Amino acid sequence: MRNNTRVAVLALGLVATVTLAGCSAGASSSGDAPSSLVIDTAFTLETGDPGRNYVPTGYMVSKAVYETLLDFAGSDESTPVPGLATFEQNADATVFTFTLDADRVFSDGSPITADDVVFSLERVKGMVESKANFLMSGIEVAKIDDLTVELTTETPSLKLPALMTNPSLAILNSEVVIANGGTTDDTDAAEEFLNSESAGSGPYVIDSLDFASQVVLTENSEYNGDEEIDFGRVVIRSVSESATQKLNLEGGDSNVAVDLSGDQVADLSDDVTVTSGPSAQTIFLLLNQNPEISEFTSNPDFVDAVRYALDYDGLLELAGAGSEQATGVIPPSFLGALTDGVEQDLDASATALAASGYDGETITLEYPNDYPVGGVSFTPLAERIQSQLDAAGITLELAPAPFTTQIDEYVNGREAFSIWFWGPDYADSANFLPFAAGDKVGLRAGWTAEMSPETVALSAAAANATSVDEREAAFAAFAQGLQDSGPFVPLIVPGSNIATASSITGVSYNSTWTMDIAELRAK
Amino acid sequence: MASSITVPRRYSARSPLVGYLLRRLGTSILLLIGVTVVTFALTNLVPGNPVAAALGEGAASNPATVAAYVEKYGLDQPLPLQYLTYVGNLFQGDMGTSLHTRQPVADDLLKAVPATVEVALGAIIVSLAVGTALGSLAAYRRGKITDQVVRVVSLIGLSIPTFWLALTSFYIFFLQLRIAPGSGRLSPIYTPPPTVTGLYTVDALLAGQWDIFFDAMAHLMLPVFVLSLFTIGLLTRFVRTSVLEVLDADYVRAGRAKGLSGSRVLFGYVLRGASLPILTIVGLAFGSLLSGTVLVEAVFAWPGLGTYAYESATSLDLPGIMGVGLVVGVIYLGINFIVDMLYGVLDPRVRLA
Repeated sequence: MRNNTRVAVLALGLVATVTLAGCSAGASSSGDAPSSLVIDTAFTLETGDPGRNYVPTGYMVSKAVYETLLDFAGSDESTPVPGLATFEQNADATVFTFTLDADRVFSDGSPITADDVVFSLERVKGMVESKANFLMSGIEVAKIDDLTVELTTETPSLKLPALMTNPSLAILNSEVVIANGGTTDDTDAAEEFLNSESAGSGPYVIDSLDFASQVVLTENSEYNGDEEIDFGRVVIRSVSESATQKLNLEGGDSNVAVDLSGDQVADLSDDVTVTSGPSAQTIFLLLNQNPEISEFTSNPDFVDAVRYALDYDGLLELAGAGSEQATGVIPPSFLGALTDGVEQDLDASATALAASGYDGETITLEYPNDYPVGGVSFTPLAERIQSQLDAAGITLELAPAPFTTQIDEYVNGREAFSIWFWGPDYADSANFLPFAAGDKVGLRAGWTAEMSPETVALSAAAANATSVDEREAAFAAFAQGLQDSGPFVPLIVPGSNIATASSITGVSYNSTWTMDIAELRAK
Repeated sequence: MASSITVPRRYSARSPLVGYLLRRLGTSILLLIGVTVVTFALTNLVPGNPVAAALGEGAASNPATVAAYVEKYGLDQPLPLQYLTYVGNLFQGDMGTSLHTRQPVADDLLKAVPATVEVALGAIIVSLAVGTALGSLAAYRRGKITDQVVRVVSLIGLSIPTFWLALTSFYIFFLQLRIAPGSGRLSPIYTPPPTVTGLYTVDALLAGQWDIFFDAMAHLMLPVFVLSLFTIGLLTRFVRTSVLEVLDADYVRAGRAKGLSGSRVLFGYVLRGASLPILTIVGLAFGSLLSGTVLVEAVFAWPGLGTYAYESATSLDLPGIMGVGLVVGVIYLGINFIVDMLYGVLDPRVRLA
């Protein structure tokens, strides 16, 4: 009898616990305006220190917590607008003078001065271990007065204003950071502090930061910038599985899903809004020009045979919403991007193939098989390329491998024929000049400067242009030059799909920080 | 796993149990060193460059950054020296810094392991209760329709792909029926309770935060259900077999002949007699639950050991991989030790001298 009673009590306790737990599981409707904002994204978060960050989730957090000298308005990444400062440049585009807004303050209420700017930029430059260190390469920083800073470069650098929008170059409260181990050389030890607290002037401050699960932001009560935030609390959660992001959003557990693929956004429920558009990534084929790597891919006729054999619309079917055909190495939203891409021309392909001397030999196509870009998985893409090239008489053998294995071969120029991708580090077309012969990506394709002095000259002209019009023409010429004779076959610019509950508006895609959380609004 | 030690008491300077424990400890340390050797060797055999993997394309092309990174993590040292440095640091309690998260591996694991332990513990408790009940039922009803149904159910539990089950159950119970919460360990409105054990349910109780306790319980339900289904299937089959073996034993018949109640015979005679193989399976299942939850953790955005192991492996994060290998090794050794001790408790024949 006593045993039965014990069992009954235990059973009742269990039922009560499960019932109460179930009650607390109630999900809110995704149509209601939330009091706080919940964003699901596949975390790429390594640090809370903006000067050391170089990954998308980190950029999103930094953008909300810190501010930069310049900014972009919404999704328009063509022209930097004032952030903490306005700027002027000399005619040679080598001297840039930034004037700070006199009224702006950090989250502790202290004013933002030129000393903070100099410290923040010098700090990134001094931390050679930081992934963002290269952003400050070749830039000298000098204080003119309390509100004025001068940045100089040895060669014309019209990309510099765009660089100054990158959240890695955010302006930190130098007094606070120095007090917590910050320096302007490689002895800097402020990262631990910045992983738990913020020292910026953005609309939010860090409440808690857990690299594995979530970042919680709360309103910066001292913020006196232009943004008028709607959400006093923002939770950015690590949800690596995009299917889970989709279910969380549809079930009302989150308000924003960042990483849905084109296929997933196609069948979302009606009370979800999707902001789709081309991202800034370019997926391309690389054909190595080093004859020692491959006698076939290094043949320009073979490159042309591949270029004209592909059915680009057919490849685009794999990419889903928001994606576009890559019209060149520069993606559509950037200065100098080409209007039209290559079209399939099987006759031209056959002619080029015959001229190349290729006779049905099997070529290996390598690609990372665990690293989808913008929702595009490379395995089905490679299979479709294999099928299309087979129809054109080119035999491929697929060689997938994990990203960590492939990237070493790719970076060191040891792959003959492979699928890769390229995205900008900051919103400027100068990011795509490394595709030139003799430059970083060019060399990965075994394409030395001696092989194509023409594209080297086109790259130099684009890099050294001193006016916007001159730049646009130079970048377009560069992109066309690569399209005509480069060892790259641009395939797809994958879509960026940010899905939100219908109660949320104001999403604008940015190629660096994905979206500005402070711009999100509750209906 | 069981062993018998027969050292005459007059020649022993200490208790046989202490000697046994010391030997087990020594063996365990050797095994763990073996784990580090194998993990280190295998990780370095995988083709790939951890620097390029960790820094990404942009930074990997900056020689200054690469040089500083290589120096900081000692990647320019010969492999044997890297290994010896690692083991040397390990003996000082330093598991290194993760190349992926840039945090001390020990700190990462202190967060990841309790998350997985919480869900694995729930799954093993549910599995043990349901598996024992179903297995016993099937054995008592041998050959009858109940037995057939239980065997089919257990087979289904063993056959369903975990990833599919996780997504499907999340879709049904969260999105359609609205009786389960969304992903993660807590709802976004809550802040985790003050860390004592790292188990949110326990820590919430210790802090008297009942709302967080119930929310953490709610978030445990689906992952526990999904994880336990396979173990329930496994245990059901083992319990059925083990119970069948002892049902006709003399001591069970004697119990019945004495007029003992059915439940007394079941719990006091049958299950106790069948407990040794069940215990072995429970130990192995718990170990596998702790180290094999990658897919379930991915679906439920559960920041546990499986997720950490996956991310460490895909980023060639050697310290992270070594840390996971060590933790899993310690878990298995610990479980084996506990199981061996319980053998002695449950069966005096294998009790230590």
